[in-house]
Amino acid sequence: MSKLINLTIDNQKIQAPEGANLLQVAKDNGIEIPHLCYHKKLTPTGACRLCVVKVEGMRGMVASCAIKAEEGMDVTAFDDELEEARKYLLDYLLSEHNEQYDGNYYDEFRDLKLRYGLDNPENRKFPSIWKELNYPVDDTSPVLRYDASKCIKCFRCIKACDEVQGKNVLSFAQRGITSYIIGGYDHWKESECDGCGECIQLCPTGAIVEKPHAKQINVENGIEKVRTTCPYCGVGCQLELWVQNGKIVRSNGVEDVSPNYGRLCVKGRFGYEYNQHKDRLTTPLIKKNGKFEEASWDEALDLIARKFKEIKEKHGPTALAGYSSAKTTNEDNYLFSKLVRIAFGSNNVDYCTRLCHASTVTAMLRSLGDGAGSNSIEDYENSDCMLFTGNNIIETHPVTATFVKTGKRKGGRIIIMDPKWTPLVKYADIWLQPKLGTDVALLNGMIRTIIHENLIDKDFIEKRVDGGMKSFKALSELTEQYTPDYVEKITGVPGELMQEAARIYAKAQKPLIATGMGFSQQVTGTHNVFSLINMCLITGQIGKEGAGLNPPRGQNNVQGASDVGASPFTYPGYIPVTDDENRQRVAKIWGVPYESLDGEKGLSTVEIMQAAYDGKVKGLYIMGENPMVTDPNLNHTLEAIKKLEFVVVQDIFHTETTPYADVILPAAGFAEKNGTVVNSDRRVLRMHPAVNPPGQARQDWEIITEVARRMDSSIGEYNDESEIWEELRKAAPIFTGINYKRLEEHGIQWPCPDENHPGTATLFLDKFNTPNGLGVLHPVHYAEQSEKANADFPFLLNSGRILYQYHSSTMSRRNDSLNEFANQAYVLMHEEDARKHQFMEGDKVKITSKRGELQTVIKVSNHVLRGELFMPFHYSEAPVNNLTRDELDPYSRIAPFKLSAVRVEKVR
Amino acid sequence: MIKETRITLKNIGKINPESIDDYIAVGGYQGLKKALTMEPFSVIDEMLEAGLRGRGGAGFSTGMKQKFTSKSCQECPQRYVVVNADEGEPGTFKDRVIMEQDPHLYLEGTIIAAYSIQATKGYIYLRGEYHDSILKTRKAIESAYERGFLGKNILGSGFDFDVEIRLGAGSYLCGEELTMLESLEGKRGNPRIKPPFPAEKGVFGAPTLVNNVETLANVPLIAKNGKEWYRQFGTERSAGTKIFTVSGQVNKPGHYEVEMGITLRQLINDLCGGMQDGKPFKAALLGGAAGTFVDQSMLDERMTYDNLTEKGATLGSGAVIVMAEKDSIYEVLHSCLRFFKHESCGKCVPCRVGTTQMVRDLIKLKNGVNDKKSLIEKLVKDSKMIASTSLCPLGQSPILPMESAARFFTDELVKEH
Repeated sequence: MSKLINLTIDNQKIQAPEGANLLQVAKDNGIEIPHLCYHKKLTPTGACRLCVVKVEGMRGMVASCAIKAEEGMDVTAFDDELEEARKYLLDYLLSEHNEQYDGNYYDEFRDLKLRYGLDNPENRKFPSIWKELNYPVDDTSPVLRYDASKCIKCFRCIKACDEVQGKNVLSFAQRGITSYIIGGYDHWKESECDGCGECIQLCPTGAIVEKPHAKQINVENGIEKVRTTCPYCGVGCQLELWVQNGKIVRSNGVEDVSPNYGRLCVKGRFGYEYNQHKDRLTTPLIKKNGKFEEASWDEALDLIARKFKEIKEKHGPTALAGYSSAKTTNEDNYLFSKLVRIAFGSNNVDYCTRLCHASTVTAMLRSLGDGAGSNSIEDYENSDCMLFTGNNIIETHPVTATFVKTGKRKGGRIIIMDPKWTPLVKYADIWLQPKLGTDVALLNGMIRTIIHENLIDKDFIEKRVDGGMKSFKALSELTEQYTPDYVEKITGVPGELMQEAARIYAKAQKPLIATGMGFSQQVTGTHNVFSLINMCLITGQIGKEGAGLNPPRGQNNVQGASDVGASPFTYPGYIPVTDDENRQRVAKIWGVPYESLDGEKGLSTVEIMQAAYDGKVKGLYIMGENPMVTDPNLNHTLEAIKKLEFVVVQDIFHTETTPYADVILPAAGFAEKNGTVVNSDRRVLRMHPAVNPPGQARQDWEIITEVARRMDSSIGEYNDESEIWEELRKAAPIFTGINYKRLEEHGIQWPCPDENHPGTATLFLDKFNTPNGLGVLHPVHYAEQSEKANADFPFLLNSGRILYQYHSSTMSRRNDSLNEFANQAYVLMHEEDARKHQFMEGDKVKITSKRGELQTVIKVSNHVLRGELFMPFHYSEAPVNNLTRDELDPYSRIAPFKLSAVRVEKVR
Repeated sequence: MIKETRITLKNIGKINPESIDDYIAVGGYQGLKKALTMEPFSVIDEMLEAGLRGRGGAGFSTGMKQKFTSKSCQECPQRYVVVNADEGEPGTFKDRVIMEQDPHLYLEGTIIAAYSIQATKGYIYLRGEYHDSILKTRKAIESAYERGFLGKNILGSGFDFDVEIRLGAGSYLCGEELTMLESLEGKRGNPRIKPPFPAEKGVFGAPTLVNNVETLANVPLIAKNGKEWYRQFGTERSAGTKIFTVSGQVNKPGHYEVEMGITLRQLINDLCGGMQDGKPFKAALLGGAAGTFVDQSMLDERMTYDNLTEKGATLGSGAVIVMAEKDSIYEVLHSCLRFFKHESCGKCVPCRVGTTQMVRDLIKLKNGVNDKKSLIEKLVKDSKMIASTSLCPLGQSPILPMESAARFFTDELVKEH
């Protein structure tokens, strides 16, 4: 920060950073100058004029929000004249204002009215005229309501939408006293408003209010506020849940703390409703004669323990397996994997990471030694080049995207590599649109360009890359054939555009790469990321502040579940299960004989189902996963799950998977959980319980310990989550310095070796985490896809996510607000294909692949290339994974969700 | 008996405004040629020492403005010139005369101004309703490009400058320089916070020189003839000439270019042929709606920036609306206040609400209220409060007609109706 200067406000001597906002300086020093339009998150507006002050040497009254603090400034903030002016201004404002107040929101304007005694009509000079002004109400948005008669036209909503969220949807209609806020060209509903509600959070008067629970909330009466972490994607937004009469009634972003600094997306703000949905599971259920019947916990747990024990005794420990969950806490995941390793006796534990970023993590582990993102979310704000590879960040990580948009505004350039249009294209400098499955060719082309134009960082290669220039030479030779023409032929991307992208990336000072499912969910997923890392390493664009490679995580604890060892390959803290020394160390912490821990790698997510199909796995414990929607090749999965002898599903709802369970256990939802999660930038964040679990539902970790105990295999006794964490941080060295107390205010980024360590914002600054500390190049060739379009299956189908739904949608679809935005499955088809094959928008179609079929409706859209299709995977009535393959990436065992050959037929 | 001193209006009616040859034949573009041989800072010094002041109404030194703009943000890659051609002050039509009848004059001034601050891009923000001005300016720009007065390497000097017209869409406030810049950038016409001034951060965040058309029309003349020549006109502190646009109860309304410092009586009697039908003079509104009423006691005051300010009046844009005995001060004042209410953008509270409440109060004056005098006092007080707290010059304007009307015509306002 800039140097400190001295100034005086009302004779109070104050030190402040030079150039700081004068109003904020006063505020920070306890001088509450009235104001309404100013908000520290926004650029000053100077609209309400209430913050007028007098500054020695300046003429008349000046708005303090528009003044920068300077050395020697002598400011008068309060005198009779200024107070009279403020009273005048408030009086004016009141005269155009509908003062009806229902207690639904905090009203900053009302507070000022009371402060200046203007609630007494005798103290007012001006008659109320708001009724004559015919202010409109806009009730069209699914989530909010705008009442112009309560609007003070302070611009905060407009700037919240523009400056904070980068969406710029709101503006004024009309002018002067009849002006009011509009979304888009008129109504909110028809605008590009995506319902993030930043405007609601920053509105000072309740002109924009949330629709849900609007009638119930009374801010002055019995609202409890609980801070926790958002249950959706891996940004890890900090929420403030409002609880009234045991019910969550509102969710606000927590200001001033990372990673979101008060920002939320539509799911974070309006997606909490599922937690209190009537469909919540409230009692254990046991399947008897094909029907689920309510049971007691003892009955259910005893049955589970008995069955699992029987299978283990009869078929050995590897006949049991467990799906852990990225939607539960670190503490839950830690104990779940401990259960599998100690009570089951194998390493057959995995979770959905195998379906999303396994290839990214595999490639990063091999090349860089760490599978986690190297940077902080805030770094996007200061990056000069942001490369998005198969990453629809605006829809999948909406709050991270706000930092990206700020970065763009500050002059950063955006390059997108994606076969499908994403909303970020509107902000992009370059959009490379390769055909599905051709990414390696494109990257090799970029690498060749970088080498040919001598944009490599030779010093970095020599010092930080294994094998130095010799390894580089191998890469250089391998990529030589990827000339712009050759790359264009394979990918369809114009050679010059590819070259330009390579130049921008290589020449940037602080480039960041965010890689997503489009890159990882392919048969060549690991190769894709190898190529990406090759490009990072030869340009030296990793291992420095603000630059690196990041895989934004899809669920709030994907990162944490891996970190704490819910993996068939690693113990907590990424320690390989196959390493004897490590096994001994872990066995000691767990208090179990070293020999009892399995030294063989376990089965991964899709492999577990394949083993079930082959009859090798007989019993499966599923915690908070829904493989009957999310696994590839669902028809195969169905057959596999049916073959299992005993299945336990522990969840908060009935899902597409629960029908195949023998026992269903009701678990606690996110708002009922205590513990920690880890977000995409390795930040350990707290969860705090806001409400009680419904009915007999229990905490996941409590259920897990009970199952273990009843299997006569103690995995530890814990009184609460903090005790689990204390053990966990001993087991996982990356967490050693983190305790619950440190996490109360801010999250801490691992690795954090001791309690005085602030956490690690950027990875790889001095060395990589590979055994010799050097980055490893993995030159790879482009390989043609085994799955190709042909006469029978002429289209290639891509799949992915949308903003308003989440994963298998068991959570998101139980929110009316989100459903109002999007609740309908569809398939995108290019208009030329539609014309050629005579499809119209809205046509009902059957889509068939070699694996299966589904029905959905056509959306004609040039957001996909000709010959390619796209479907969101959230909708179980049109399950995309009926069509996908379970042919796996050989390195990471990830399935190719992004490419399936299909045909499309009209349904009459 | 005084006469007009036409320097900026010298060619009016004498040349074909669509012919660049006509303009060149009467000495056009000589100022630019001369300026291009000088150092940019010398051009600025010339303007500074000539004493040219902004003709848009504020009367700020043009040379100073150029100096600030050329010196701010040395690392900025781009500087701009913006021509304020959004003439919207009621009763004002001086810029229109120049734009319709001698467009090359102000275009030449624009190029010289750009050279002086080394701007490579200019915008002419032109009032959308001024159809003829738009056509003539467009034609002038085309011809200037053809002759090498615009574009790359102007007249072989190595100086590049492009200019583009942007049209206003009927908002008075967009004539306010910072609002104009917002509008230029494609945003809604709301004023910006000041500082930063345009010289520091103008259009698209770059240093920007904003000048009025009449101001720029003086620039080629100073460049060509020199500061000494210019200083022979007008007074010590208000050098040069001023175009007055006279309307109302005079025999010959219209535009008159005179040396700074003539009196209102001289303007009406010597140039405008006296009051219509010999009616007695009652009042004049100087400077348009954002102007001040004067009565006959002010007829012999010299109309310079400083003298009028000292006497509580304004010169403003040079609009003079003349009223005779039977004209109602109330109606004119009412019209002014309604105008501000209509044109208030709504951004800041005092202007948005205050202008509406003032109109309501003024109507009470007509529709019967017991203590009219107190009501007038309240209106003056309100207008002062609006002026002292509002964000931009629009909110600082109602006080001008309100206070001056109260000063000279309280009796009439109380008595009437």
